[in-house]
Amino acid sequence: MGAPVLMADPANPPSRSAPLVWALGAAIPWLFIAFGQVVWFVLDARAPWLHVGAAAATALGVLVSVVIAPIWRYRVHRWEIGARAVFTRTGWLVQERRIAPISRVQTVDTYRGPLDRLFGLANVTVTTASSAGAVRIVALDVAVADRVVAQLTDIAALGGPDAT
Amino acid sequence: MNSAAWQRLSPRMLLVHPVHEVLNQLPLLVGAIVLGSATQNPVWSLVGVGFIVLMGVARWFTTSYRIDDRDITLRTGLLRRNELSLPRNRIRSVQTDARLLHRLLGLTVLRVGTGQEAKGDNTFELDAVSAEQVAGLRAMLLGEQPGAAAPGRVLATWRPSWLRYSPLSWSGLLMIGAATGIAQQAGFGHVPGRWVQAFGGPALAAGILLAGVALAVGRSLLTYGNLVLTRRVDTLHLVHGLLRIQEHTFDLRRLRGGTLRQPLLLRALGGARLDAVMTGVAGVGESSLLLPPCPSSTATGVLTDLVGDAEVVHGPLTPHGSAAARRRWVRALAVPVAAAMVLVFAPLPGWSWGLWAAGTVLAAGLAYDRVRALGHRVDARWLVASAGSLERRRDCVQTAGIIGWTVRQTWFQRRAKVATLVAATAAGTKRYMLIDVPAEIAWAVAANASPWVADSQWYA
Repeated sequence: MGAPVLMADPANPPSRSAPLVWALGAAIPWLFIAFGQVVWFVLDARAPWLHVGAAAATALGVLVSVVIAPIWRYRVHRWEIGARAVFTRTGWLVQERRIAPISRVQTVDTYRGPLDRLFGLANVTVTTASSAGAVRIVALDVAVADRVVAQLTDIAALGGPDAT
Repeated sequence: MNSAAWQRLSPRMLLVHPVHEVLNQLPLLVGAIVLGSATQNPVWSLVGVGFIVLMGVARWFTTSYRIDDRDITLRTGLLRRNELSLPRNRIRSVQTDARLLHRLLGLTVLRVGTGQEAKGDNTFELDAVSAEQVAGLRAMLLGEQPGAAAPGRVLATWRPSWLRYSPLSWSGLLMIGAATGIAQQAGFGHVPGRWVQAFGGPALAAGILLAGVALAVGRSLLTYGNLVLTRRVDTLHLVHGLLRIQEHTFDLRRLRGGTLRQPLLLRALGGARLDAVMTGVAGVGESSLLLPPCPSSTATGVLTDLVGDAEVVHGPLTPHGSAAARRRWVRALAVPVAAAMVLVFAPLPGWSWGLWAAGTVLAAGLAYDRVRALGHRVDARWLVASAGSLERRRDCVQTAGIIGWTVRQTWFQRRAKVATLVAATAAGTKRYMLIDVPAEIAWAVAANASPWVADSQWYA
């Protein structure tokens, strides 16, 4: 197919506080596991090697999901809205680039979880008629998310043909 | 024509509804009979039966439908009234189904398919209207011109020789398995053991296999016998079944392509099956079926007719290159290599090496076949993706229906410089995958198919 064809990456990173929110979200379940291990140690301290092994496994899990994954994701995540399409890059170990034409957009949803609200973030989901084609722009600052939604609904002229 | 009045289902359903209601409410009925015999008062049983029959009769009186210029509306329910309304321009397919009891009474169930996933209460189902009304209703719902219902062109008709492919399916053995499970539950668990003693293991296994084949062939005959696939001006019409007749009418304007499926055993006998890729029709299972296992020339012929381009169906594919091939081989041979390690260090008898050799040959054959199958083809109108060995499929999808592209790379895929390209569409299985495309051409494929990718600011 001749010279390799490259697709430029989308330009915009998520909010600066995104890695912090992702890290906190990942830390909460690990806190429960760590707490369970402390309880276990207090109740039954007979097999020290078992405790050390479990603590090491937990520490590794925390390192990967609370430190490495959020930083890695922040370096990968990008989004951009063009004249005719929305383009995102997401993931860390498994990375995805997804593009959807704005003319086929059916709905634009905003979602804010408890942690997102605390840090002033919002997630925008752009759905098309295909369940495999929804584009998610996660961890945006609320002001940016509002602008994105307004821009998308403006270009999309919802109600046109949706290729069904 | 805003003369749209509420219409009822066929009055003959007054006979069918109570029967169905009795079958549906079997636990209630059993309860009533038990109560009747326990209290020595048969009135309770009669009250129970009477109540259920009354419920069935009430269903007819509480169900009505209306077809007006814009919408079709269905009202159901005695205590919980439910009104379901669909815009007529959202109707994608009309399916009819006549079970034995319905056929004896000249009735047909009519089901309307839309772009939405309809489940349970949200299914627009007229159960049932009289069979003479069906042709008129179907034409009206699909917006056909009255003259367009003229006999179309027959694309395929069922032949008894198609039955030779049905023993290759698992359905017969599955039925036997289910029956065995039920027998176990019902307390006949000791019977199989006695049979093994009486007939001997091998004879019993052969018997089960034969019975499985007979059941599979019988089921295929009953389900697909008398199949006729007809193409009309803008609909595709499928009829099949010997006792229970099912008809499916697809809106051709919603057709986005077809999937040719060739499982390994079927392929070995030169057979294939054909599924429709269509909006508003699930991508897998009965509802999208166009042709059951049949000679592959028939299946490709029909697909060529639907696609209108023989190259899409038969044309050569672009292979995915050496990295993709290497990944197939690594995956297939990982298990044999691990097994060899175990065999080297573990004191196992010599014949296990024979078993290992046979397994390795099979795995190598699988890898070779998977590499050979892998490929794609793209032009401005059609995207073709082919993959798989045990379940080989060739998806032909119209590019106009593609409304999203995903390039996915795992860590290993990034190192091998390949990517999985997923085309999202509203039709069929919603996602059509090109596995392990070389990373540098993944976006070129997307851009070839979709001008909105090629025109975007990121593409260079």
